[in-house]
Amino acid sequence: MPAGARFVTRRLLRGVLTMWFAVTVTFFLLRLLPGDPALAVADPGMTEELRADLLRDYGLDRPLAVQYWEYLTQLLHGNLGVSFRQNQPVLDILLERLPWTLLLAGSALVVTVALGIPLGVVAATRAKGTLDRLIQVGGITGQSLFIPSIGVFLLYVFGVVFGILPIGGAMDDDVYGLAAYGSIALHLILPCLSLVLVQLGSYVLTLRSTLIDALGEDYCTLARAKGLPNRKVVWRHALRNALLPTTTLVGLQLGFLVGGAVLTESIYAYPGVGRAIFEAVSQLDFPVLQGAFLMLAFAVIAANLLTDLAYGLLDPRVRTA
Amino acid sequence: MTTTDALMPPPGDAPPPAAAATPTAGGLPPSESVARQTWQAFRRNPLGLVSAGVLILLGLVALAAPLIADYPSGYGEDVLAGPGAGHWFGTDDLGRDVFAQVVWGTRVSIVVGLAASLLAIVIGVLVGVAAAYFRPADLVLGVIVDVSLSLPVLPLMILVAALAGPSVPTLVVVIAVFSWPEVARVVRSQGLAVVPMPYVSAAHVIGGSHLWIIRKHVLPGVAPVVAVSVVLTTSRAVLSEAGLSFLGLGDPNSWSWGTILHQAQRSGSLATAWWTTLFPSLAILLLVVATTLLAVAYNDARNPRTR
Repeated sequence: MPAGARFVTRRLLRGVLTMWFAVTVTFFLLRLLPGDPALAVADPGMTEELRADLLRDYGLDRPLAVQYWEYLTQLLHGNLGVSFRQNQPVLDILLERLPWTLLLAGSALVVTVALGIPLGVVAATRAKGTLDRLIQVGGITGQSLFIPSIGVFLLYVFGVVFGILPIGGAMDDDVYGLAAYGSIALHLILPCLSLVLVQLGSYVLTLRSTLIDALGEDYCTLARAKGLPNRKVVWRHALRNALLPTTTLVGLQLGFLVGGAVLTESIYAYPGVGRAIFEAVSQLDFPVLQGAFLMLAFAVIAANLLTDLAYGLLDPRVRTA
Repeated sequence: MTTTDALMPPPGDAPPPAAAATPTAGGLPPSESVARQTWQAFRRNPLGLVSAGVLILLGLVALAAPLIADYPSGYGEDVLAGPGAGHWFGTDDLGRDVFAQVVWGTRVSIVVGLAASLLAIVIGVLVGVAAAYFRPADLVLGVIVDVSLSLPVLPLMILVAALAGPSVPTLVVVIAVFSWPEVARVVRSQGLAVVPMPYVSAAHVIGGSHLWIIRKHVLPGVAPVVAVSVVLTTSRAVLSEAGLSFLGLGDPNSWSWGTILHQAQRSGSLATAWWTTLFPSLAILLLVVATTLLAVAYNDARNPRTR
């Protein structure tokens, strides 16, 4: 098999393995936890008989291995169970929500990278200068922010005090056509900004340190010796190599980004999967919680696979290693 | 998974100073002088000192909570009063003093953060060292760590915490169980640099047992990374606790910073009564920034190149 095909196959297998791991961990966590899964659907006051019936209906009286197999086949058929509170298939509820989460997380990622690269370059080329210190302290502070805090702050300033941005939801009800897109964009600004502020630091700090290393390499010295202007050395020579570890960072940060999206959506009443989690927590709707985790895990794994493949395209060494 | 990468030396970097100075050869105890040098460099860094001071102050507040404020419970007369002389941080929608909530919240937030972090460190160090030292184990452990790091942890924590029922011990265990892979990852990569060192091979040659080599030679080599990890894992655990409590999965019988925000969100005073959210938010920010800067300062002080 050619190296490229082997690389793709290996990454695909790894994605499947990760998903299997997520599913298996969920299954066994749910069954091994002190709380009886039947308790989740059952009333404490119900009779022993009724409880046994309920267990049989849900297949909870069969051996663990059989249950596990059944669980896997159901998942492969796209069956995530039925919501306790809404009496609707969990998959339908969540699929309706997923596009909003993808929009939020995706736009946050794009904005973060678009801001992170120039900031990282500025910090690295002025290493130890005042601007560099400021960017570093800003990055560390940004990472230390608690998303609900920053969310409330932005909401208060832009939504309540100035009143220029909507305070929640994903779009207005009574708009159509082009105005609807405008409304969606307006509603996206604050949630997206909250996520960007928290994410930006790690990208800037990572790019800064890899770029400083790259600028010290021989090929950069050579480029300068040839008389290339400094701007070209930085952007054309050093940055290209420094961006590779940043690509890895995208993969590492995706899980964190999704976790942030859950909190952000809760604050802004943004109708994504995260908001569904928030609502399910207060209603103790376990099938929704479980389905939401599996769906977000699947999204993260798929995105990770794409980053890995992009990395393989950018860096031939990865393909052959 | 936030600051760690920027702070950790890449694997295969220069040998860690503490490892090079492990007192194996007898004679001078060089580790002591390394500790002293680190301390002297640390003492000159104002940012590190201030951070340490802030953390000590927060620790004192947590310890002395009963002396500082009465436990916030029941109902008060001034509902949603702004900050003033009577209530420094104002009151919430039930008239409870926000200052008292923040003070008592410090206790729970720090206890959960520290306990979860220590548990995560113990598991993470065991797994990380085992993976670095026993190569066949690395295949399995490495995959488990990689795989769990690529999953969205918060939704999983939410699911488990909701099932197990909200309480302080639940929070500690849930946060620890999903935080150790990060520790294992950094310990493993540092361990991979330490295990092939000549002094470890020498220990094999003189017939040392695995346990003895790990205890006396590998663990001291990864100790500096673990020290940084303790600080960072604690701040991340505090953030996780705040997140879970904010979503309503905090211990219903105690106050934490996240619980205050949860109450504010539930009562709808989140955006109008700014004091109900500002002060707990500042407390979280203060703790997390101080821990991160402390880790940076310690790292700089330890590294001879940045000392």
